[in-house]
Amino acid sequence: MIDVHGLTVRVGDFTLENVSFKVPDGDYGVVIGPAGAGKTTLLESIAGLLPLRAGIVRLRGTDVTRLPPERRPVGLVYQHAYLFPHLTVRENVAYGAVDGEAAAESIDRFGLQLVGDRDVRSLSGGERQIVALARALARRPEVLLLDEPFAALDPRSRAAVRREVRTMYFDRGCTVLHVTHDFEEAGLVGDVAVLLDRGRLLQTGDPADLFRRPANAYVASFLGAENIYAGTARPIRATSPDWADAAAGQFAQHPLAFDTGSLTLYALGDAVPGKGHAILRAEDVMLSTDAIASSARNQFRGRVTEIVSAGALSKVTVNVSGTPIVAAVTTRAVHELGVEIGREVVASFKAAAVHIC
Amino acid sequence: MLPPSNGDPAGPSAWRTALSPTATVISALFASLFLLFLVAPLVGLVGAGGAAGIRQLFTDGELRGALALTVLTATSATLFAVLGGTPLAYLLARRQFAGRALVAAILDLPLLIPHPVAGIALLLVLGRGSPIGSVLFGAGIRLTGSTFGIVCAMLFVAAPLYVAGARESFARVDHRYEAVARTLGDDAWSAFRRVTLPLSLRGLTASAIVMWARAVSEFGAIVILTYNPKVVSVLSYDRFTSFGLGGALPVAAVLVLLAILPLAALRALRGEDSPA
Repeated sequence: MIDVHGLTVRVGDFTLENVSFKVPDGDYGVVIGPAGAGKTTLLESIAGLLPLRAGIVRLRGTDVTRLPPERRPVGLVYQHAYLFPHLTVRENVAYGAVDGEAAAESIDRFGLQLVGDRDVRSLSGGERQIVALARALARRPEVLLLDEPFAALDPRSRAAVRREVRTMYFDRGCTVLHVTHDFEEAGLVGDVAVLLDRGRLLQTGDPADLFRRPANAYVASFLGAENIYAGTARPIRATSPDWADAAAGQFAQHPLAFDTGSLTLYALGDAVPGKGHAILRAEDVMLSTDAIASSARNQFRGRVTEIVSAGALSKVTVNVSGTPIVAAVTTRAVHELGVEIGREVVASFKAAAVHIC
Repeated sequence: MLPPSNGDPAGPSAWRTALSPTATVISALFASLFLLFLVAPLVGLVGAGGAAGIRQLFTDGELRGALALTVLTATSATLFAVLGGTPLAYLLARRQFAGRALVAAILDLPLLIPHPVAGIALLLVLGRGSPIGSVLFGAGIRLTGSTFGIVCAMLFVAAPLYVAGARESFARVDHRYEAVARTLGDDAWSAFRRVTLPLSLRGLTASAIVMWARAVSEFGAIVILTYNPKVVSVLSYDRFTSFGLGGALPVAAVLVLLAILPLAALRALRGEDSPA
């Protein structure tokens, strides 16, 4: 397990402050945050490369806070690989290997036999990252720290390196902490997500839960939620018994009405009634040309004001009495429904899709 | 020694200059005059005294002795600078500590003060009348009129060049190479020895060569401390005051030829640096 508690580090003017999280043994942790969030500082602190001002780092149950980097069971792979340019590929992989057999195994495992004697400066970006991974794993670390390993790669290399990382993870079973600023990448690979911004921990938990149930509007915005509404939540058990009672029993959550501007959204949640925010992801919004009978408790008629197509997916903004609702639908559906700017459509979504925080 | 970046692939040589033809001609004229000013005296000196200097090396024992002493003392001073200056340069390049800027400024001082003043300062601190000098004298080490004095003078005035160059060489090696080496099992010393040192070795060598060349040509500080035995620079001055220009020319030409050696070594090092 990677167990970080109250970690505080200062580097120049930047401070990573009071960060705590856990990644269970064998799990894949993802640290998400924009540039300047402190992601690399966090990894370097766990690796023992930066002195802590406060906090404890435990790796696989052992307190390593006072151990130097070379005595910690970690491997670190940076975005730019940092292969030693005065050594060949084979010498790089063998640099920290526990023994010759581990180095040879790493070379074989990553298919580096043919480039073993090459100058590392002649490698492509993808090859460099794979050599860096092979080098880190030849030391047989129990914890692998990956600092944006795909960020500097072209799409094809990125896919290849990502495949290698996943295969390595499943084969070796070591605990991984992977830093990225790419939310999509985080969703693809992570078991545990750690959200950092400007040196502070915003939220930690299951990545899907983080996306569905952000702690606040800032986190939701940070994670790319398209529909964030400020307003007031109130309980509606008395006024909507038809679905509220059943829902309350089933989900152990209470139904809420959320008033924002001229709209009232229906939601399910454990939020305390009062002022707050409603979060709705665009992919949970369905579009139709007419009102339809469905289980969706929220149905709003409005006019299309914007359509942004990105390949197979389009984002359609519907203006409902001055409040925009963004729906993510397939571009094909946009064409088939005849959705165009100015057309009246119905946006519908389930109460369970609305998260109140 | 930075990881590859997505910089401008064309590089500065591919930029179009915005100079007008007139400005280009004027700039070229000034640049040529400037170059001529730098090169002409040296070429003239070697042309007038080079052959005689080389001939004199076979016949003039004092010149041969001065040459050997110059090479020996400059090499010793450079070795001392490498031993003491390398850790200092590494600290200045890598570590943040209180007084770092002050240390860096102090290191530049010997480059800024007149060299006879440097000799006087050394005499004050290491001369027989000073506490340190008296201890050294007690141990049989004299600062004045000795090889030790020459080495001290060379070290004082030329070592800052080595430290500055070495510092720059270390700073050019991204510290994350060392970080990776540490996570691969190296302690701080091993990471330095196995990664930072090989990656900065060319820069360190170039800095040592520059320092050696500066030490070879030192005169002002040496002449205050040690007129005899004579290094080549002092000998050329001595011949000039005793025999005039004609007597000094061959010795001076030998000194210039000696300075060409490190220049050639530097060129060879830089040649290795250029892309294939």
